[in-house]
Parts: sequence; structure tokens; C-alpha cells
Amino acid sequence: MGVKTEIFDKKRFKEIKTKTAKWEANSYSCQKKLKKKYETLSGFDVKPLYTPDDLAGFDYLRDLGFPGEAPFIRGVHPTMYRGRTWTHRQLAGFGPPEETNKRYKFLLQQGASGINGVFDYPTLRGYSSDDPDVYADVGRGGVAIDTVDDMRILFDGIPIDQVSVSLVTCQPICNISMQSMYFANALDRGIPLDRLAGTSQNDFLMETATTIAPGVLPPQASFKVSCDAIEFCTKNVPRWNPISFAGYNYREAGCTAPQEVALVIAHAIACSEEMLKRGLKIDSFANRLSFFLSAHNDFFEEIAKYRAARRIYCSIMKKRFNARDPRSLMFRFHVQTAGVALTAQQPLNNVARAAYHALAAVLGGAQSVHVDAYDEALCTPTELSSVTALRTQQILQNETGVTNTIDPLGGSYFLESLTNRMETEICGILDEIDRLGGLVKAVENGWIHKEIAEAAYKYQWAIENGEMPIVGVNCFKIEDEVLPIELFSSPETLKVQKKKLQIIKKKRNATEVARSLDAISRCCEKNGNLMELMVGAVKSDLTEGEISQALKRVYGVWDPPLF
Amino acid sequence: MVRLGMDAHWRGSMVVARALRDAGMEVIYGGNQMPRNIVRMAIQEDVDIIGLSSLSGNHMMLAPEVVKLLKKEKVHDIKVVFGGTVPPDDIPKLKKAGIVEVFGPGSSLRKIISCIESLKNN
Repeated sequence: MGVKTEIFDKKRFKEIKTKTAKWEANSYSCQKKLKKKYETLSGFDVKPLYTPDDLAGFDYLRDLGFPGEAPFIRGVHPTMYRGRTWTHRQLAGFGPPEETNKRYKFLLQQGASGINGVFDYPTLRGYSSDDPDVYADVGRGGVAIDTVDDMRILFDGIPIDQVSVSLVTCQPICNISMQSMYFANALDRGIPLDRLAGTSQNDFLMETATTIAPGVLPPQASFKVSCDAIEFCTKNVPRWNPISFAGYNYREAGCTAPQEVALVIAHAIACSEEMLKRGLKIDSFANRLSFFLSAHNDFFEEIAKYRAARRIYCSIMKKRFNARDPRSLMFRFHVQTAGVALTAQQPLNNVARAAYHALAAVLGGAQSVHVDAYDEALCTPTELSSVTALRTQQILQNETGVTNTIDPLGGSYFLESLTNRMETEICGILDEIDRLGGLVKAVENGWIHKEIAEAAYKYQWAIENGEMPIVGVNCFKIEDEVLPIELFSSPETLKVQKKKLQIIKKKRNATEVARSLDAISRCCEKNGNLMELMVGAVKSDLTEGEISQALKRVYGVWDPPLF
Repeated sequence: MVRLGMDAHWRGSMVVARALRDAGMEVIYGGNQMPRNIVRMAIQEDVDIIGLSSLSGNHMMLAPEVVKLLKKEKVHDIKVVFGGTVPPDDIPKLKKAGIVEVFGPGSSLRKIISCIESLKNN
């Protein structure tokens, strides 16, 4: 703790305190039509007015400091958006890779500065398109990728040595195949791995907690597979962020804002401990741990959330892990505007919602942003809705002037007070996870599932009871609304993917396939690093489904505990 | 209550399952299932109503299949309802295929509860 330096004159401070109390009693409280209670989305009390009194004991140098310097609360870069604007990284993926490739090129032509590729439901779950259980979901929610050849088609003609690519692989069982296929394809194109820049999601909570399904990899195995990718990238792909802790998805599943941040930081702690156990030095990998957060409805609470996350993370990496490299102390994050906040009713209202969400992300110092398209509560975004979302980012950056100064809300009595409140709450949850024995244990015993379910249930009843107004849903409704937009229809995918698989399965060398799958099984049994093997193994045209089955045969499967 | 196929979203199905349970009904939560398993489970557990949930867009391929398989098994007293992300144009199509009620995004919990109660009593 540094020496306390009061930023307000003591005498004036007393006067402010007395006058505030007087104002509240005489001018404020006598007004009619005031609600009894005002609170944030996560349930923090909000006062009518914030004054210097709320920042008593506040030390500018200790608590805020400067951008690009610890505790990074004002931003991770010294110049922030003056030096480099946030990356406009619009999520895209649908149908077969041939179709998504066209959408990527279209978005890049329209000024998108990075690719954010999402995979279809079967791919995310580790199934190939020809599996009998997946026919209805092939090409839905993302692009279908079955083999390294699909990965070649997906990035055909895109300069992946120049454009940073985010692979939204969600679950480790998907990531181990997809990331390996991506690397194998780059090598095949003659691009060395150290020239690749990007991120993969690779989050074991996605497999075991936020998207519950029967028969997934057990938490410990899923966590291990994700850590294999972190270890591989640390050694071979230095510009790749091998994990993106998917707080966004925890939030979409029902978490509150403080839970969202507590879970991503607890997850970073678990990964760091595992990497240290594997003999890596903290500063060799911590600078590549990256985060993915939501931007939800409560504007100031979201900004406070991002700022608190930076301060807590810096302190944990310093004190708990003795990290020295400033980059290891930085909480760098991507933001997606909250999908759960979108409405199917009056869908064009979502343009306004997503714009407010994006503004919160930018005032909170995000490194990259995806703005949701207005039709996402109804279907996969059309070309028009995707471009409108991208334009929302461009308007924010180029027209509003928000990039002119760094952390413009820093020093606001309300925001700083809310940031402190958020920090206390997050640290409380982190202590609880430590008491439970860490994050993997908290998943195994169902604590996480219970917490998420509880919060989601409370949220829904708040809407139901009208305590949380949602325009178009529980107020300002239009009865018998005629949908004012055209919806997206998925291109034919199942036939295309099945045909390619048939050809590949006929063409490939069966002995080599068997040998590769056998090597994967043995690697699992010996507890070796799977990705080291996989980047080579996928070249023998293994399908994602075959790889997943090999993993499940060794690790077994797990049915998550219900709420 | 089951989620169709590979759909990854569990929030809606869980919230509705819990609301029905809190309204005094017995709810069996089956996780992700394909139609043949859904029908098998429903017969085994002797349920009154099957609640299907999906936000992935697979509803037109899988929901009618559940109704068809029930008919094939000569089960006539189990009703099927659907909830999730469904474009308005698909609602009449689902109803024509034998889904008795469809709950789109933003549906009220109280409406769902009272609808299930009345289906159960009919």
C-alpha cells in the first residue's frame, strides 16, 4: 500500500460532505415520483448523486495511474485509440467453407480489420458433417469444417500472414482439431507459424458449463486439451493468443457482470498454474492470455466492469504469479455486444441497443469489438445486417470523437465508485472459487452451473415482472407486428460437406489414417501434448469426428450436473 | 424438456424447466437429444408433454420428426410444444406439422406456464 495522498482539500472535503447531506434532505428527498430503490443490472445500489465523498481515501497514482502502466485501469496502451483504434472484428460463419470465404472477403473489402470465424454446431461439438446425429445442424450457427481441406477453402485467397484471425472454436475438443488444421494449412501455404497472428477461443468452460450437453469431455480432460494448445503456441506460435477466456458466453448463459469477470480471471489463474506445473515461465505465456467479454445493457456498470477487471488482473499476475513483463499484467479483451439483450420484436431497435453496448466497450478500453447484427434474435445475419453492424463501429470511431482522449470517464465520482464496488464483488467470488479448490473443481461439483442457472432465472423473472423494462417486449409493444426485415436462409451445406467427405475418404491413405489415429490415442494415454502431434496428423485428412472419437475413447465422456 | 440436436444454448430451456417446476409440475430435463431418443424417453417416462427447445435453426428438420415418430409408435396422448429462435413464417408450418404450441423469443414465462397447464388438463 502506498502513502495515502488525499486528492481533495480536507476542509473543503468536510464542507462537501455536509452540503451533500443537506442537499439530499432538503432538495432531493422531498421530490415525488422517485423509485424506492435504484440499482444496476447486477444489483448494486445506485445513489442519486456521487461526490468527492465517494472517493474518500482515493489515491490517484496508486488507484488510477496512467495508460500503459500498472494497474492499467486507464487502458493497456499509452496512446490507446489515438495510436491504434480497436479492431473491428465482425463475427462471420455459415454454411460450407466456400460460402463463408466469400463473406470474409466481403467484410474485409468493407473495411473490417480482422476475421472472426465461427464454426457450426457439429464442428463446435467435435462431430463431422456425416455423423447421423448432426444432419439438422450442419452449416448452422457457423461454418462447417470437417478436414484440413475445408480449412484451405475457408481461407483461400485471404492473406493470413497479414490479417489477424480469430477462430471461435469455443470448446477444446473442437479447438484441438480446428487450430491444428489452421496451422497445418498455413504451413502448407509456406507461411511459418511465427508469422501467424490470431486468437483461438479454446475454453473448457464452454464444453462443460456454458453449453451443457450430454457426453462431453470430462472437465479435467477438456482443461488439459486446452492447455496443450497454450503450451504449443507458447513454444511455436508466439503471436497467437491460444486462449480467449469466454466471459461473453458465461454472461450469455446467465452470469452477472461480476461473475463474468471473476470466472475469466479464475480461469486465467487455473491455466497459469497448469503452465507453471508444465515447467513454463510465467512471462513466456501470460502475455498471450486474452479475454472475451460481453457489453450488456447497464452502460456504466459495463464500463466499470472492464476497468475493474484490468486492475484486479494486474494485481493477481504481479502478486500471485510474480509476473514481470508488463504485457503479462495486461487484461486485453475483445467485446461482443450482448446477444441476449437483442429482441426478436421490432428488430431494428437492436441497431440502437448494439450501438450503446459498443460505446460502453470503447469507453471501457476494449482492444477489439464485434457489434451484433439487428436480426440475430431471429436468424444468421444477412449481408445488410452485417454491414450495418460494421458501420455502427465505423460511425463510433470516425464520427463521435470518443477516440480523442483516453479513458474519458476516469475520475467520475460515480464510475470510480462503481469500479471499486465491482472490484470488491469480483474479488469475493474469486476467493470463493479458491476455497472450492479452483475452477476445474468448481465445474466438476456443479457449483458453476448452479450459479449461472440461479442468475439466469432471476433475470428472466425481473423481465417477467416488469422490473427490468425491455422495449418491445414488456413495454412499448406493437401488437401483431409485421416483420420489417428479410431473414437469412442458410445455403445448402449437408450435401456439399458429405460429398467432399466421401471423396476424401476414398482418396486418402487408409494406413496413414489408422496410424495417425493410433498415435493420437497413444498420446492421450501417455499424457503427451496433443497439439504437437495433431498439426502433423491432420495432414493425413483425418476428419474432426474421427479425432474427437479417439479422444473420447481414452478420456471417457461426462454428463454435466444439472441445475 | 429437451434440446434438439446439436443446439448449444441451454439458458432458455433451463429457465422454462425451472419455472414449470416451481409452478408445481414434474419436469424431466433430457439435455440434447435426437428425435428417436426424445420419443423413447417420453414413452419410458410416461410424460404428458414434450417441450422442445432450439435456437440453432434446426427446428424445421427435427421438431416435425418428433411428432411423426410419436404417431409411428401409436402414441396419441403426448403433446409436443416448441420454444426458441423461430422466424415468424415457421410458426404456422410447425403447427401444421403437429406442434401444438410455439413460443418464440421474448415469450412470457407466465403464458408458457398457463399454456402447459391447460394442455395437461385437456
